[in-house]
Amino acid sequence: MRNLFTLLLFMVCTIPFAYSQTGSVSGTVKDGNSQMVLPGVTVTVQGKSISTQTDASGKYTINATGTDVLLFNFIGFSDKSVSVNNLTTIDVFLDEEDQSIDEVVVVGYGTQRKVDLTGSIGSVKASDIAKQPATSAMQSIQGKVSGLNIVANEQPGSSPTVLIRGMGSALGGRNPFYVVDGIPADNINNISPSDILSINVLKDASSASIYGIRAANGVIMVTTKKGSAGRTQISYDGSFGIKGILNRVDMADANQFITYFNENAAAIGQSWTLQPNQENNTDWYDELIQNGQVYNNSINLSGGSEVVDYYLSYNNLTEKGVLEGSKFQRHTIRNNNTYKFFDNKLKFMQTLNLTMTNATPKPLAAFDAAYKQSPLVPVMYENGRYGRPFVNQTTGLVTYESTAGQTVGNLNSIGNPVFENYRYNELLNTVSIQGSFEGEYQITNYLKFNSRFSGTKVYNKNRNFSNVKEAWLNADPRRTEAEFEALKLANPTSLTYVNNTLTTGQSESFRWAWENFLTFQKSFDKHNLELIAGTSLEKFNIGNNYSATGYDVPDQEQYWNINMASSGYNKSVNQTYITPTALQSYFARGQYNYDSRYYFTATVRYDGTSTFKASGDYYDVFPSFGAGWTISNESFAQDISWLNFLKVRANWGRLGNQAIPLNVSQVLQSTGTNGNENVNYVFGPNQDLIFGAAYATPVIPLSWEVTEETGVGVDFTLFNSHLTGSFDYYHKLNTNAILSVKPLLNSTFSQNFYDHGAKILNSGFEANLSWNKSVNENLSYTVGVNYSYNKNEVTDVKPTYDGNTGGSLANGQITKQLREGQPIYAWWMWETDGVWQTQDEINAGAKYGSPRPGHLKYKDQNGDNVIDDRDKVFLGSYIPTSIYGVNLGINYKAIDFSIDGYGVGGNKIYNGLKGTRIDGGENIAASTFENRWTGPNSSNTDPGAARDSYASSYYLESGAYFRINNVTLGYTFRNLYSNTSNLRVFFTAQNPLIFTKYSGFSPEITGTDNGNPAETSGIELSAYPTTRNFIFGVNMSF
Amino acid sequence: MKLNKLNIAVVLIAGFLTTTSCSNFLDVESREIIEAGDSEDVITPEEYVNGVYGMFTDWNYAFAYLGITEILSDNADKGSSPTDSGTDKDVLDNLTYTNTTPSFESLWSHWYKSIGRATEAITYTENYGLTDEGYKNRLIGEAKFLRALNYFFLVRGWGDVTIQELDLIERKPAAEVYDYIEKDLTDAIAVLPLKSGYASADLGRATKGAAQGLLAKVYLYQKKWQQAYDMAQEVINSGQYGLESDYAVLWRVTSENGTESLFEFQGRGVAIAHGIQQYSETQGARGTSGWGWGFNTPSQNLLDAYNAEGDAIRRDATIIFRGEVMYDGRVVDVGVENPMYNEKAYSSANAGAADGDKNIRYLRLGEIYLISAEAANELGNSSGALADLNRVRNRVSLAAVTTTDQTQLRTLIYKERRLELGFEHDRWFDLIRTGQAEAAMTAAGKPFQSKHNLFPVPNAQINQTPEMTQNPGW
Repeated sequence: MRNLFTLLLFMVCTIPFAYSQTGSVSGTVKDGNSQMVLPGVTVTVQGKSISTQTDASGKYTINATGTDVLLFNFIGFSDKSVSVNNLTTIDVFLDEEDQSIDEVVVVGYGTQRKVDLTGSIGSVKASDIAKQPATSAMQSIQGKVSGLNIVANEQPGSSPTVLIRGMGSALGGRNPFYVVDGIPADNINNISPSDILSINVLKDASSASIYGIRAANGVIMVTTKKGSAGRTQISYDGSFGIKGILNRVDMADANQFITYFNENAAAIGQSWTLQPNQENNTDWYDELIQNGQVYNNSINLSGGSEVVDYYLSYNNLTEKGVLEGSKFQRHTIRNNNTYKFFDNKLKFMQTLNLTMTNATPKPLAAFDAAYKQSPLVPVMYENGRYGRPFVNQTTGLVTYESTAGQTVGNLNSIGNPVFENYRYNELLNTVSIQGSFEGEYQITNYLKFNSRFSGTKVYNKNRNFSNVKEAWLNADPRRTEAEFEALKLANPTSLTYVNNTLTTGQSESFRWAWENFLTFQKSFDKHNLELIAGTSLEKFNIGNNYSATGYDVPDQEQYWNINMASSGYNKSVNQTYITPTALQSYFARGQYNYDSRYYFTATVRYDGTSTFKASGDYYDVFPSFGAGWTISNESFAQDISWLNFLKVRANWGRLGNQAIPLNVSQVLQSTGTNGNENVNYVFGPNQDLIFGAAYATPVIPLSWEVTEETGVGVDFTLFNSHLTGSFDYYHKLNTNAILSVKPLLNSTFSQNFYDHGAKILNSGFEANLSWNKSVNENLSYTVGVNYSYNKNEVTDVKPTYDGNTGGSLANGQITKQLREGQPIYAWWMWETDGVWQTQDEINAGAKYGSPRPGHLKYKDQNGDNVIDDRDKVFLGSYIPTSIYGVNLGINYKAIDFSIDGYGVGGNKIYNGLKGTRIDGGENIAASTFENRWTGPNSSNTDPGAARDSYASSYYLESGAYFRINNVTLGYTFRNLYSNTSNLRVFFTAQNPLIFTKYSGFSPEITGTDNGNPAETSGIELSAYPTTRNFIFGVNMSF
Repeated sequence: MKLNKLNIAVVLIAGFLTTTSCSNFLDVESREIIEAGDSEDVITPEEYVNGVYGMFTDWNYAFAYLGITEILSDNADKGSSPTDSGTDKDVLDNLTYTNTTPSFESLWSHWYKSIGRATEAITYTENYGLTDEGYKNRLIGEAKFLRALNYFFLVRGWGDVTIQELDLIERKPAAEVYDYIEKDLTDAIAVLPLKSGYASADLGRATKGAAQGLLAKVYLYQKKWQQAYDMAQEVINSGQYGLESDYAVLWRVTSENGTESLFEFQGRGVAIAHGIQQYSETQGARGTSGWGWGFNTPSQNLLDAYNAEGDAIRRDATIIFRGEVMYDGRVVDVGVENPMYNEKAYSSANAGAADGDKNIRYLRLGEIYLISAEAANELGNSSGALADLNRVRNRVSLAAVTTTDQTQLRTLIYKERRLELGFEHDRWFDLIRTGQAEAAMTAAGKPFQSKHNLFPVPNAQINQTPEMTQNPGW
């Protein structure tokens, strides 16, 4: 943030004394922003060979005449010249280099000054990432860049889902393309956030199209830190944090549960009820959840000489999640070096990143079970077995104990969340090595050649152990080991009675890329030209995976080997090589500007891919064009004093998306006894099994998706550069989106297939505004806001491809449908229309099934007096239309304070925890209890204890929220050991507050399958809750 | 300007750039999925034809099929426990089903997918390049027979239906669908071998006789009496078939693909098992001492019909009574849940197994005689009708019918169909076809309305193709 405090300039002349003679001039040089003295500043007399440097306290003395001009140079600060004017004491304030003018952004195969852009690129700097510690830097930048929808996933070790300018594809390829120091990547989970220098987001077509067939979802350029000559630095950053659940739902207690249960029993005519006073009142969340902890330590060394610049870092991140036993640990070692020869004409750049992670994940379903399990069930029985929802129906007591003639049943079919969490035993290890070697040769002063080879290798190992016997015994406290052994003996091949199951798996994958490009950069008078042309070869998904399962290994973990599994059960092995993807590409970009006023950019990438080999389709061209006009550089604008910078931009481009899941078996064949596919048959007098085959899907030639994007924008800096801002409008159309099509019931094929069948439009605007001001030498502040609006719509769906449903609640109910004119997989369900008050009302009204008084009433939309699918309506999307971020920062002397907030709006989310009751014996939230219908006219909005479990708008709630996601207070001690050594201590509260009307744990719900819109995105089911995190830490540099 | 240095660099770089253009780089070999070009080497046309037959082994025939052929008729009740709805068997039994009742959707889809497999098999076989024309034509004939059979399922259930090869939205008039079926069957008859013309290993494949028998039935449903009669007579006179002397063995393993059999769905119970998924299990006796789920049980109404006729042979071959000792010695415990079960679904060797050895008899000579009799009677040929009818009655030791009154004889033939073909999945369609449904169902205490003459087009289909018309009343 402090880099934004710019253009603060003042000069103090302390002695108004004027005569011209040779003498010594002295003074102090300070940072105009922080007021700190600057040692090592070079001071020279213009036109003479006299020079000196400031000392440790920023003081200098130099010989100069009264008419000389002094020049002050210091790395990272703007040069300054001051006339002596016969003064003998000249104190000087240097300003940090003006970021708004000279700020450089990383684009594909090069960098550009931000003021020269014709496209729309969002930038985040290291200081912003450092302020919001997270496992993945993508989480740290939530709310910092407009147009970026980042949905947090706070499970230890997981990464958020990221959408740039809306969801443009209905299938797997929704993620942006990542480029880390020129290395193509699927994600940046292996990168320590503390190693990142900047993240640049290529949002628009003209900047992204240099990545052609992979650019349709936007491109995220990550640049890691490098050393530089003259600035030797050792720094240490450490922090410790405690995590708790931000928005915990208050559940019904034992008495409320009993009342609710008995009301339901009465309504459905159940013959038994629960007794009022019961032994247990378990708060399952208390039992299940602990405070999480996060430790983060990193050490960086950087510096350089004439020959080599180096950067070396180590980072360790350890996170213990809120579920007991869940843990994630990551070690990262990075080494980035640059070797310089022949006066910097020949350079070799090397990056190497080694990441090792190990994790013990825990089942998210435990959160659901904790919501649903009754408070009457104990965590554990006195006999040491875990509590189960057994109920003695004769006495009405929740216990498994009974005497002769009494009936014991179940309250519900929910497991014991504490046991489910305890018994889940999974181990995940990952080793990832990512590196590049790049040569750069400056052939002439205007022509440069780069050749870069990069590779990424990832090894994954996982191990799952399930103690089947323990689970069997704990399913019923009356069971004995002897019973288990007897059953095991009687059923020697049954997997129900194995002691345990062990599954181990390994996978590895490799990707490499080799890129060569030429850069030509030259100015002819006022014509400035840069041309880049190159080639790229790339291959990825080179790998295989392997897993093996065995049974009855010894109980001790040290012997968990497949080889030690019992020979009495068949072990199974799965292994396959993966089909790699190859890309062969040619690219070029030309940028021209006249006098920094008129800008033109043209980019083209000619991409070849192996993905669509089956269609015989390999190559396509992805062009883009951009134009800009910097109005403030026109002569007529020079006199407008409040206008510092004004530029308008327009661009158009064509982008591709080849990340399509194509692993569909077109032909069904079954050579085993498994008859699922029904392709085999028996013939002959002995009815011999004869193999058959059938086409499962049609042969449809698929190719990449093509997105066309048009955008216009304006950038401005006003009022002495205090106010900067930008505004962008875009129209982004996926012209041939691939859908997963469920074949028509009456059509030939049985399996879902893929085809180009729709267009997907995302259009919207983004606005950024920030205000920076230094009030005086001690106080400065900055306020920034960004807002994005995006409208998502599926259009032009091919006839009969419409209507795919999704959003399964795993209880037979679905909640979403893909439909023309709606957002991707929009909510689709019945609209509630109050609550049935009496049986007479039910008899007279349109209904589904046989509702009872107290059930929700559904609106008969088509008036046919029947409630069915035709009465379901579209109710918006889980994807927000509005996203906004607010950032406030204040620096006062050595204190820094900041508050960041993030919010979304315009979406709906589904409270699946509240909605998916099956047995009627599940627990409910306290608010559900309090608001319930209890008899005629008690409520016409909330159902009674007897209710159905159909999906309806009752459970669909506003997804809008505003969250204070970071409050940081820091204090910096300067010059501790030396002039450059600082110590900053800070306290950060992450997510201290959330403002939302949502009744569940978290309005941020990634869902399964990495945010797949057809799955549980936006549905709270097995979702990790948002956490609140209090962090204390230090930053030290020497 | 250091031109030399520049030139050298340009030449070097040009070298770099051109090395990257290797043409085969993008031809990546598929590792986990067999490429289309390779699968043609691997899969023969016969396998695709087998794949059409394979559809008969689907779970749909073991559950949904029971629901929409027998349970909704007056022959059968849902069975099982009162609390076990069997997905939707309760609403089928009570005629309170709707357009979202799952069994209709399951079979509507299943029959169309079977048709799809048949069409694909035909196309594949035609283009594969088989040199043995007879073999090639036989495979195509088999597929056409199977396609016709599945269309027949559809047209008699739903009336107007789409013809998959023509259009997926517009429902063609039933007459047009019947024309289409007749064409397929006529083609099949021309190329299929007689039952005796097949190699032993091919026992169970569609034969010329099966196609002729099915065509006779198709004509019957259209009241094309003369053609139905002629076609039935062709089967009867083909020399390929005869009546089993003992009706009781008709659905036992010993008569599988026997002399009376025109076409059966094949199931195998022993390892490697490949039965009609759970057909015997779903209909097996329910309860602690039973072996199945107990669905699709004979109704009192059916039992009364047998008793009224004094038809003990067919009654006892069709119905398992609680407490009886069965032909294989199995004692049906008095503690089983329902008083009667479907004996035609009983598998002696694999009673409760998911894979049973039961073959579902789809078409047999007994029915061909009744088709012939019904058609002859409608044509005024009462002596021919009586001859065929009495052959069937004679086998089960019932007195010969003698009346020559066309109306009376018609009623008697209808009754004979019910008793002869009980639990052979035809009753509902006979009721609808002959206009007896309303009277019969009302007599059975079920609220029959005119909308029940046709099945509802599944709502899931209408969701996919909103332009498709629904049947009246649904």
